[in-house]
Amino acid sequence: MLFFSYFKELVGKEVTVELKNDLAIRGTLHSVDQYLNIKLENTRVVDQDKYPHMLSVRNCFIRGSVVRYVLLPQDGVDIDILHDATRREARGG
Amino acid sequence: MVLGLYPFVDIAADGAPRLNAAAGEELVRVERATAVALGPRTPEPAGTLFITTRRVIWLSEVEKGKGYAVDFLAVSLHAVSRDPEAYPSPCIYTQIETEDGSDEESDESDSEANREIDLAKVTEMRIIPSNPCQLDGLFEAFSHCAELNPDPNAESDEENGWAHGNEGDEDMTDGSDAECEFSDVNPIGQTDAHDITHAVVELQINDQRFEDAEEAEHDTRGNGH
Repeated sequence: MLFFSYFKELVGKEVTVELKNDLAIRGTLHSVDQYLNIKLENTRVVDQDKYPHMLSVRNCFIRGSVVRYVLLPQDGVDIDILHDATRREARGG
Repeated sequence: MVLGLYPFVDIAADGAPRLNAAAGEELVRVERATAVALGPRTPEPAGTLFITTRRVIWLSEVEKGKGYAVDFLAVSLHAVSRDPEAYPSPCIYTQIETEDGSDEESDESDSEANREIDLAKVTEMRIIPSNPCQLDGLFEAFSHCAELNPDPNAESDEENGWAHGNEGDEDMTDGSDAECEFSDVNPIGQTDAHDITHAVVELQINDQRFEDAEEAEHDTRGNGH
Protein backbone atom coordinates (compact mmCIF):
# COMPACT_ATOMS: atom_id res chain seq x y z
CA MET A 1 0.00 0.00 0.00
CA LEU A 2 2.81 2.33 0.84
CA PHE A 3 4.36 1.82 -2.57
CA PHE A 4 1.10 2.36 -4.39
CA SER A 5 0.53 5.59 -2.49
CA TYR A 6 4.05 6.61 -3.14
CA PHE A 7 4.06 5.86 -6.85
CA LYS A 8 0.84 7.79 -7.26
CA GLU A 9 2.80 10.84 -6.24
CA LEU A 10 5.17 10.25 -9.12
CA VAL A 11 2.56 10.36 -11.90
CA GLY A 12 3.78 12.70 -14.61
CA LYS A 13 7.39 12.30 -13.61
CA GLU A 14 10.17 10.58 -15.44
CA VAL A 15 11.02 7.13 -14.09
CA THR A 16 12.99 4.11 -15.22
CA VAL A 17 11.35 0.74 -14.80
CA GLU A 18 13.62 -2.26 -14.76
CA LEU A 19 11.96 -5.58 -15.47
CA LYS A 20 12.94 -8.96 -14.12
CA ASN A 21 14.12 -9.88 -17.63
CA ASP A 22 16.68 -7.03 -17.42
CA LEU A 23 14.87 -4.78 -19.86
CA ALA A 24 14.90 -1.22 -18.56
CA ILE A 25 12.42 1.29 -19.92
CA ARG A 26 12.50 4.98 -19.23
CA GLY A 27 9.41 7.06 -19.61
CA THR A 28 6.86 9.36 -18.09
CA LEU A 29 4.77 7.63 -15.46
CA HIS A 30 1.23 7.85 -16.84
CA SER A 31 -0.55 5.83 -14.18
CA VAL A 32 -0.16 3.08 -11.64
CA ASP A 33 -2.72 0.79 -10.01
CA GLN A 34 -2.88 -1.11 -6.76
CA TYR A 35 -1.06 -4.08 -8.23
CA LEU A 36 1.73 -1.72 -9.28
CA ASN A 37 0.91 -2.25 -12.92
CA ILE A 38 2.61 0.67 -14.59
CA LYS A 39 1.72 2.64 -17.71
CA LEU A 40 4.53 4.68 -19.22
CA GLU A 41 4.43 7.27 -21.97
CA ASN A 42 7.16 8.66 -24.18
CA THR A 43 9.14 5.57 -23.47
CA ARG A 44 12.61 4.70 -24.57
CA VAL A 45 14.67 1.65 -23.87
CA VAL A 46 17.78 2.28 -21.84
CA ASP A 47 19.87 -0.39 -23.53
CA GLN A 48 18.89 0.24 -27.13
CA ASP A 49 21.50 -2.03 -28.65
CA LYS A 50 20.13 -5.01 -26.85
CA TYR A 51 16.46 -4.27 -27.47
CA PRO A 52 16.29 -2.43 -30.81
CA HIS A 53 12.71 -3.52 -31.47
CA MET A 54 11.47 -1.63 -28.45
CA LEU A 55 12.61 1.66 -29.97
CA SER A 56 9.33 2.31 -31.69
CA VAL A 57 7.23 1.88 -28.62
CA ARG A 58 5.87 5.16 -27.34
CA ASN A 59 3.66 3.98 -24.55
CA CYS A 60 3.45 0.70 -22.76
CA PHE A 61 1.74 -1.22 -20.01
CA ILE A 62 3.96 -3.21 -17.68
CA ARG A 63 2.63 -5.91 -15.38
CA GLY A 64 3.42 -5.12 -11.78
CA SER A 65 4.63 -8.64 -11.14
CA VAL A 66 7.48 -8.38 -13.64
CA VAL A 67 8.90 -5.13 -12.29
CA ARG A 68 12.19 -5.49 -10.47
CA TYR A 69 13.01 -1.85 -9.73
CA VAL A 70 11.57 1.56 -10.32
CA LEU A 71 14.25 4.21 -10.47
CA LEU A 72 12.88 7.48 -9.21
CA PRO A 73 13.73 11.02 -10.15
CA GLN A 74 15.70 12.66 -7.39
CA ASP A 75 13.36 15.63 -7.20
CA GLY A 76 10.40 13.28 -7.06
CA VAL A 77 11.32 12.08 -3.62
CA ASP A 78 9.97 14.15 -0.78
CA ILE A 79 12.11 12.73 1.99
CA ASP A 80 10.03 14.19 4.78
CA ILE A 81 6.77 12.74 3.53
CA LEU A 82 8.43 9.42 2.84
CA HIS A 83 9.92 9.31 6.33
CA ASP A 84 6.56 10.10 7.80
CA ALA A 85 4.76 7.49 5.72
CA THR A 86 7.23 4.72 6.47
CA ARG A 87 7.10 5.48 10.18
CA ARG A 88 3.33 5.45 10.06
CA GLU A 89 3.37 2.15 8.21
CA ALA A 90 5.88 0.71 10.68
CA ARG A 91 3.70 1.75 13.62
CA GLY A 92 0.84 -0.12 12.03
CA GLY A 93 -1.13 2.72 10.44
CA MET B 1 -1.34 -20.43 -14.06
CA VAL B 2 0.21 -21.27 -17.38
CA LEU B 3 3.22 -19.28 -18.47
CA GLY B 4 4.10 -18.88 -22.11
CA LEU B 5 2.13 -19.46 -25.27
CA TYR B 6 0.26 -22.69 -25.79
CA PRO B 7 -1.66 -24.21 -28.69
CA PHE B 8 -5.38 -23.57 -28.72
CA VAL B 9 -7.55 -26.16 -30.38
CA ASP B 10 -10.88 -26.03 -28.57
CA ILE B 11 -12.78 -24.37 -31.38
CA ALA B 12 -16.53 -24.50 -31.83
CA ALA B 13 -18.24 -25.26 -35.13
CA ASP B 14 -18.79 -21.56 -35.83
CA GLY B 15 -15.06 -20.94 -35.57
CA ALA B 16 -15.16 -19.25 -32.17
CA PRO B 17 -13.00 -20.46 -29.32
CA ARG B 18 -14.70 -22.35 -26.51
CA LEU B 19 -14.06 -20.32 -23.41
CA ASN B 20 -13.75 -21.47 -19.86
CA ALA B 21 -17.18 -20.24 -18.78
CA ALA B 22 -16.92 -22.08 -15.49
CA ALA B 23 -14.01 -19.83 -14.56
CA GLY B 24 -15.97 -16.76 -15.61
CA GLU B 25 -14.09 -16.25 -18.85
CA GLU B 26 -15.87 -13.83 -21.18
CA LEU B 27 -15.12 -12.41 -24.57
CA VAL B 28 -14.02 -8.77 -24.46
CA ARG B 29 -13.04 -8.03 -28.02
CA VAL B 30 -12.83 -9.76 -31.37
CA GLU B 31 -10.54 -8.49 -34.08
CA ARG B 32 -10.80 -10.12 -37.47
CA ALA B 33 -8.13 -9.97 -40.17
CA THR B 34 -5.36 -9.84 -37.64
CA ALA B 35 -1.99 -11.46 -38.17
CA VAL B 36 0.31 -12.65 -35.45
CA ALA B 37 4.10 -12.91 -35.44
CA LEU B 38 5.84 -15.09 -32.89
CA GLY B 39 9.30 -13.95 -31.85
CA PRO B 40 11.39 -12.99 -34.88
CA ARG B 41 9.36 -15.13 -37.29
CA THR B 42 7.44 -13.71 -40.21
CA PRO B 43 3.77 -13.02 -39.46
CA GLU B 44 1.35 -15.84 -40.02
CA PRO B 45 -1.49 -15.22 -42.48
CA ALA B 46 -4.32 -13.27 -40.94
CA GLY B 47 -6.63 -14.90 -38.46
CA THR B 48 -8.96 -13.73 -35.76
CA LEU B 49 -7.90 -12.35 -32.43
CA PHE B 50 -10.08 -12.97 -29.39
CA ILE B 51 -9.36 -11.01 -26.25
CA THR B 52 -11.07 -12.56 -23.25
CA THR B 53 -11.13 -11.64 -19.60
CA ARG B 54 -8.44 -14.24 -19.01
CA ARG B 55 -6.28 -14.61 -22.11
CA VAL B 56 -5.47 -13.72 -25.66
CA ILE B 57 -6.46 -16.27 -28.27
CA TRP B 58 -5.54 -16.16 -31.92
CA LEU B 59 -7.09 -18.55 -34.41
CA SER B 60 -5.88 -19.04 -37.95
CA GLU B 61 -8.34 -18.49 -40.75
CA VAL B 62 -6.17 -20.26 -43.26
CA GLU B 63 -5.33 -23.37 -41.28
CA LYS B 64 -8.54 -24.35 -39.61
CA GLY B 65 -8.06 -25.70 -36.14
CA LYS B 66 -4.77 -23.93 -35.58
CA GLY B 67 -4.51 -21.41 -32.82
CA TYR B 68 -2.44 -19.98 -30.02
CA ALA B 69 -3.31 -18.66 -26.62
CA VAL B 70 -1.55 -16.90 -23.79
CA ASP B 71 -2.92 -16.11 -20.36
CA PHE B 72 -2.89 -12.47 -19.34
CA LEU B 73 -0.96 -13.56 -16.29
CA ALA B 74 1.93 -14.33 -18.62
CA VAL B 75 1.78 -11.11 -20.64
CA SER B 76 4.52 -9.07 -19.00
CA LEU B 77 4.25 -6.03 -21.16
CA HIS B 78 2.20 -4.73 -24.04
CA ALA B 79 2.68 -1.66 -26.14
CA VAL B 80 1.68 0.00 -29.38
CA SER B 81 4.47 -0.10 -31.94
CA ARG B 82 4.14 2.25 -34.89
CA ASP B 83 7.66 3.03 -36.02
CA PRO B 84 8.18 1.35 -39.42
CA GLU B 85 11.91 1.23 -38.80
CA ALA B 86 11.44 -1.05 -35.82
CA TYR B 87 8.78 -3.20 -37.40
CA PRO B 88 7.28 -2.90 -40.88
CA SER B 89 3.66 -3.01 -39.73
CA PRO B 90 2.07 -1.12 -36.87
CA CYS B 91 1.31 -3.65 -34.19
CA ILE B 92 0.68 -4.48 -30.58
CA TYR B 93 3.98 -5.65 -29.21
CA THR B 94 3.87 -8.05 -26.27
CA GLN B 95 6.44 -9.72 -24.10
CA ILE B 96 5.54 -13.10 -22.72
CA GLU B 97 6.78 -14.60 -19.53
CA THR B 98 7.90 -18.17 -20.07
CA GLU B 99 8.47 -21.02 -17.69
CA ASP B 100 12.22 -20.83 -18.17
CA GLY B 101 13.05 -17.18 -18.57
CA SER B 102 16.74 -17.71 -19.16
CA ASP B 103 16.20 -19.66 -22.36
CA GLU B 104 16.42 -17.05 -25.08
CA GLU B 105 15.20 -19.09 -28.04
CA SER B 106 18.75 -20.04 -28.92
CA ASP B 107 17.80 -22.77 -31.36
CA GLU B 108 15.65 -20.39 -33.35
CA SER B 109 16.75 -21.37 -36.84
CA ASP B 110 16.37 -25.07 -36.12
CA SER B 111 12.82 -24.84 -34.97
CA GLU B 112 11.85 -22.63 -37.86
CA ALA B 113 13.34 -25.07 -40.32
CA ASN B 114 11.30 -27.87 -38.84
CA ARG B 115 8.16 -25.71 -38.79
CA GLU B 116 7.99 -26.96 -35.26
CA ILE B 117 7.61 -23.96 -33.00
CA ASP B 118 8.22 -24.47 -29.35
CA LEU B 119 5.43 -22.19 -28.24
CA ALA B 120 6.39 -22.38 -24.58
CA LYS B 121 9.67 -20.61 -25.38
CA VAL B 122 8.28 -17.71 -27.39
CA THR B 123 9.01 -14.52 -25.45
CA GLU B 124 7.67 -11.95 -27.89
CA MET B 125 4.49 -11.78 -29.90
CA ARG B 126 3.28 -9.09 -32.27
CA ILE B 127 -0.36 -8.69 -33.11
CA ILE B 128 -0.86 -6.99 -36.43
CA PRO B 129 -4.40 -5.85 -37.26
CA SER B 130 -5.01 -5.15 -40.93
CA ASN B 131 -6.48 -1.82 -39.87
CA PRO B 132 -3.92 0.11 -37.79
CA CYS B 133 -6.70 2.34 -36.46
CA GLN B 134 -7.63 -0.54 -34.18
CA LEU B 135 -4.32 -0.39 -32.31
CA ASP B 136 -5.36 2.03 -29.61
CA GLY B 137 -8.55 0.14 -28.95
CA LEU B 138 -6.64 -3.11 -28.76
CA PHE B 139 -4.14 -1.56 -26.39
CA GLU B 140 -6.95 -0.42 -24.11
CA ALA B 141 -8.55 -3.86 -24.21
CA PHE B 142 -5.22 -5.42 -23.31
CA SER B 143 -4.75 -2.99 -20.45
CA HIS B 144 -8.25 -3.57 -19.17
CA CYS B 145 -7.86 -7.33 -19.18
CA ALA B 146 -4.39 -7.22 -17.65
CA GLU B 147 -5.92 -5.33 -14.74
CA LEU B 148 -8.53 -8.05 -14.40
CA ASN B 149 -5.76 -10.58 -13.88
CA PRO B 150 -3.56 -9.57 -11.00
CA ASP B 151 -1.11 -12.14 -9.77
CA PRO B 152 -2.81 -14.68 -7.52
CA ASN B 153 -0.45 -13.81 -4.68
CA ALA B 154 -0.45 -10.06 -5.22
CA GLU B 155 -1.37 -7.72 -2.42
CA SER B 156 -5.07 -7.11 -2.64
CA ASP B 157 -6.67 -3.89 -1.68
CA GLU B 158 -10.10 -2.39 -1.49
CA GLU B 159 -8.92 0.65 -3.31
CA ASN B 160 -9.45 0.10 -7.02
CA GLY B 161 -8.63 1.81 -10.21
CA TRP B 162 -5.74 3.72 -11.59
CA ALA B 163 -4.12 6.69 -10.04
CA HIS B 164 -3.67 9.52 -12.49
CA GLY B 165 -2.39 12.07 -10.05
CA ASN B 166 -4.24 15.17 -8.90
CA GLU B 167 -6.15 13.21 -6.33
CA GLY B 168 -5.91 15.92 -3.76
CA ASP B 169 -6.77 14.19 -0.50
CA GLU B 170 -5.18 10.93 -1.52
CA ASP B 171 -1.70 11.86 -0.45
CA MET B 172 0.39 9.27 1.27
CA THR B 173 0.21 10.77 4.72
CA ASP B 174 -3.46 10.12 5.17
CA GLY B 175 -4.56 7.39 7.53
CA SER B 176 -6.46 5.26 5.07
CA ASP B 177 -3.86 2.52 5.25
CA ALA B 178 -4.84 1.55 8.75
CA GLU B 179 -5.53 -2.03 7.77
CA CYS B 180 -1.84 -2.69 7.59
CA GLU B 181 -0.86 -3.96 11.01
CA PHE B 182 2.61 -5.21 10.23
CA SER B 183 5.82 -3.99 11.65
CA ASP B 184 7.83 -4.18 8.46
CA VAL B 185 7.66 -2.06 5.41
CA ASN B 186 7.61 -4.58 2.62
CA PRO B 187 9.95 -4.16 -0.28
CA ILE B 188 8.13 -4.30 -3.61
CA GLY B 189 8.90 -7.92 -4.34
CA GLN B 190 7.86 -9.25 -0.94
CA THR B 191 4.25 -8.32 -0.59
CA ASP B 192 3.33 -12.00 -0.57
CA ALA B 193 4.35 -12.21 3.08
CA HIS B 194 1.55 -9.78 3.74
CA ASP B 195 -1.12 -12.03 2.38
CA ILE B 196 0.23 -15.11 4.05
CA THR B 197 0.08 -13.41 7.42
CA HIS B 198 -3.45 -12.26 6.67
CA ALA B 199 -4.45 -15.75 5.68
CA VAL B 200 -3.03 -17.21 8.88
CA VAL B 201 -4.89 -14.70 11.02
CA GLU B 202 -8.14 -15.45 9.23
CA LEU B 203 -7.59 -19.16 9.50
CA GLN B 204 -7.19 -18.93 13.26
CA ILE B 205 -10.38 -16.97 13.60
CA ASN B 206 -12.26 -19.51 11.54
CA ASP B 207 -10.85 -22.35 13.60
CA GLN B 208 -12.15 -20.83 16.78
CA ARG B 209 -15.58 -20.34 15.36
CA PHE B 210 -15.57 -23.87 14.16
CA GLU B 211 -14.60 -25.22 17.59
CA ASP B 212 -17.28 -23.22 19.32
CA ALA B 213 -19.91 -24.47 16.94
CA GLU B 214 -18.81 -28.03 17.46
CA GLU B 215 -18.91 -27.76 21.24
CA ALA B 216 -22.37 -26.28 21.10
CA GLU B 217 -23.46 -29.12 18.91
CA HIS B 218 -22.03 -31.66 21.36
CA ASP B 219 -23.88 -30.01 24.21
CA THR B 220 -27.23 -30.12 22.49
CA ARG B 221 -26.74 -33.70 21.58
CA GLY B 222 -25.75 -34.50 25.16
CA ASN B 223 -28.82 -32.82 26.55
CA GLY B 224 -31.06 -34.56 24.09
CA HIS B 225 -30.13 -37.98 25.40
